[in-house]
Amino acid sequence: MSLLSPLFLLGLMGIALPIWLHRLQTHATEREKFSSIMFMEQSQQRIHIRRKLKYLVLMALRILFLLMLVLAFTRPVFFVAPQGLVSENTTHHVIVMDTSFSMREGNSFVQAQIEAEAILATMSPDDIASLYIASGSVETINPATADPAMIRASLSNLEPDVGRLDIGAMIASLDTLIESSQANFVIHFISDYQQSAQAVRFADMIPDVINGRPVNLEIHQVKIDNVPNWTLASIDVTGLQEIRVGVVNNSEDAQSAEKTFTLLVNDLEQQTLTQTVSVPAGGIAYITIDNVVFEDGDNRLDISMTPNDSLADDDRRHGVFDNSPPAPVILLSADPDSLASTYISTALETAPRGYEVELQNINDFDPRILERYPWIIIDDIGSVNEILAQELRIYVDGGGAILALAGERSAAQQTVPVGGQNISGGLGYSRNTAYSVQRVNSSHPVLGRSVGWNNLNISRVVPVEAGDNDNVLISLSNDIPFLLEQTIGLGRFLLLNTQLDKNWSDLPVKPLFVGFMAEAARHLSNEEQLVREQIVNSFLQLGQNGGASGQVYDPEGNRLLSLADTTQAQNILLDETGFYRISTLGGDVLVAVNPDPRESNLILMEAQALQNWQNMVANSAGALMVVDGEAVSVVDEEPVALEVWRVLLVLLAVIVLSESLLGNRYLRFNTGSS
Amino acid sequence: MIELGNTDNKNSPTRLLDPGVLSSLSNLELVAKSVVEGFVLGLHRSPKYGFSQEFVEYRPYTEGDDPRHIDWNVYSRTDKTFIKLFKGETNSHLMLLLDTSASMGFGNGNISKLKYGKYLAASLAYLSSRQHDAIGAMVFNNEIIEFRPPTSRSGTLHSVIHLLDKAEAVQGTSLEKPFTRFREHVKKRGLVAVISDFYCRPEDLQENVQPLSSHGQDVILFHMLDPGEMSPQIKESTLYEDMETGEAIEVSPVFMKQDYPARVKAHIASIQKAAQGMNADYVLLDTSQPLDRALHAYLTFREKRA
Repeated sequence: MSLLSPLFLLGLMGIALPIWLHRLQTHATEREKFSSIMFMEQSQQRIHIRRKLKYLVLMALRILFLLMLVLAFTRPVFFVAPQGLVSENTTHHVIVMDTSFSMREGNSFVQAQIEAEAILATMSPDDIASLYIASGSVETINPATADPAMIRASLSNLEPDVGRLDIGAMIASLDTLIESSQANFVIHFISDYQQSAQAVRFADMIPDVINGRPVNLEIHQVKIDNVPNWTLASIDVTGLQEIRVGVVNNSEDAQSAEKTFTLLVNDLEQQTLTQTVSVPAGGIAYITIDNVVFEDGDNRLDISMTPNDSLADDDRRHGVFDNSPPAPVILLSADPDSLASTYISTALETAPRGYEVELQNINDFDPRILERYPWIIIDDIGSVNEILAQELRIYVDGGGAILALAGERSAAQQTVPVGGQNISGGLGYSRNTAYSVQRVNSSHPVLGRSVGWNNLNISRVVPVEAGDNDNVLISLSNDIPFLLEQTIGLGRFLLLNTQLDKNWSDLPVKPLFVGFMAEAARHLSNEEQLVREQIVNSFLQLGQNGGASGQVYDPEGNRLLSLADTTQAQNILLDETGFYRISTLGGDVLVAVNPDPRESNLILMEAQALQNWQNMVANSAGALMVVDGEAVSVVDEEPVALEVWRVLLVLLAVIVLSESLLGNRYLRFNTGSS
Repeated sequence: MIELGNTDNKNSPTRLLDPGVLSSLSNLELVAKSVVEGFVLGLHRSPKYGFSQEFVEYRPYTEGDDPRHIDWNVYSRTDKTFIKLFKGETNSHLMLLLDTSASMGFGNGNISKLKYGKYLAASLAYLSSRQHDAIGAMVFNNEIIEFRPPTSRSGTLHSVIHLLDKAEAVQGTSLEKPFTRFREHVKKRGLVAVISDFYCRPEDLQENVQPLSSHGQDVILFHMLDPGEMSPQIKESTLYEDMETGEAIEVSPVFMKQDYPARVKAHIASIQKAAQGMNADYVLLDTSQPLDRALHAYLTFREKRA
């Protein structure tokens, strides 16, 4: 804020307040009444004048207080000559150690430590150094110091973690972490320089200015053994007693090797399988392990692959398999023997989660059992009578969910029961040309994984009109909604505007139908929000998966939430590999955490790319050039901008104290004679 | 002149006369009664002062005498009516002049000078009523606020005490107007007790009181001062405001400690000298001291002038 700013000048008007108050105070001088002053004589020293002078000092203090306050808000800055630890020839060596997961490869990290020691050894007496580690985030280990011994002590205690490095994010973080200094920065980045760590935009990797100072970058690349890196990339349960393991070959050549796979289920060794695995360059091969016995509920799957390669830590993978019995879902139908019932039952029973479909005639349905089911299916919403519609609406309002299809009986209605959407009357026929899907909201969880909606042949639809509260997920060419969702209270109403019959559409015979039904089931039963397999440094959303008001335990069994956080925490950073346990009133839920697969890819940045990067940094800095590894400063020393608002605050405190003491003394003085 | 002195209030038989104790009594008549009765009780132990009425002789009852004074014992023996005559009986009257100027409201201790003056005036009125003196009162500042001519009618004491009781300290002091009017209204000779702090020039006092003496009035001046007026003690320079004029003046503690008491003493001496000059008795009263000194002085004065 400028000193001529209207706000500053307005603040200065506050000075009028103490002046006005002191003017009143002068008039209100304390007097002591006496019977007669006929024998008294005027004092040589006019006490009330002196008192006024004292009050003027008090007034001056108060004016000064306001002045300081207003001035502090302007954040005044003084420019002073640079001084202190940093001299004109000082170079600030910013040593950044890559501690990401890939640095666990072979002796990469030992090489990095040696490289850092070498940098420290070349420091001149005027130089200073600071140490940072970069992985999933950047942390300061040692702030700027002229004592290399402190950096060496820290270096010896460092070790790589399981995070993933993003160089672009690292550069951005350094700008805020590196403390202000007048020295010339040289960033020594010691890393394996994986290609996967490279920022999406090359410009993000250019630290042109840090804290207003030009920057130079020195690249220190550790050597990686040129051996293929095998990685366990996935673990899936593909059958009742069958597990499929994905093995990735992170090298530029096809590889074939004999590997032994050991599977632990709930910490018990179940299967050991040795076989020759052949994987193309950068490809994946799947290994199937049979006769696996799972327990009910969540199962901890821990598979490892031997012999290990140079990056042994990605030869192990964690997974979670929910072996809970199939969740029951009720299918209400006016015609239980119809083909539609068969399509729905089959699709749901083959879904990964597995659902047990209970078929019921809608005319014999007792609504009182609705509470047993998290969601239900109605094969023709038009067959719902008025009484049942009311019960269903209460059910949805309380948190239930309905997947409804619209068929012949719906066409006879004026509004869609439960949903309330208008039906414009009659069936929409398209005898000559089928309706085509015009728009698909693929961001919706139900449609995120299914493709091929545009290839559907739809010949009949119920002319439903979407209301204001409806979210149309799929619309047809004539703007008739094909799939819409309505939120009613705490629940959802999903309407698929077709009958599962070949006369209506070919949806039930399309492959996407099974996927759609599985996703719809996950969505409507609220299971979709819990991802059982996460990568390191991702966040576990507690509020969304019902984990709130519970406790989260890390892979070592430590509690992660304080008592207050058990009801308030919205997410947890998963910064370790292994199994996190979320303990809630509804039972325990496991989440498996594995390293980011990109860290297993040991393909490195091209030497030319590294050179270009270094050159671009040097060019953007402009003022620094590297000559034989030593930075030469050609930057004019600029005066340091010293903010004085802190000093003003101290002055404010002193003024307030003085004002209080002086004011208190005046109060005591006014008592007059004793 | 009666010198000021300290009295051990706790051990003195006149403890009830202590102004601090009296101020706890809300009724001025009760105060007067307490003061006088306590004072009389003390007198019985004194060989010097005899207050009880001393029998002198009988004389035959004549028409116009108060029948209450007939000695019925003599009548029963002789069938003749005789009146008992006592030595202490006089036909004098007492006029109480109470200054109620604003300065009389000053008081650093328990009571103000005005309150002390009220106690004194009421006590004198009560004492006089016991001696069947006619009593009257005038309350004044620079004007006459209340005036009651002297009379011995029954109920006079109550009315005088009521008149005194409602007096308030306001306005300044000017003796000229009130005393001129007083002389116009009171022609009969008697005792005149002037109760004031006398913040006036001695010349003015003499000019206004002298005519009373010249007209045969026996005058006694009760000069009341608060201890805080005689030797005020301040630690720092203080701005004093005159209670009568509102004028303010700053004085130093050195002046108040060294010069001011001397000036007050000089003023007291000049008032006393003026009193002597007009053949009036003068009593200086410290408002922190008991009232018995004033009553002693009054009795001495009365006996001397009777």
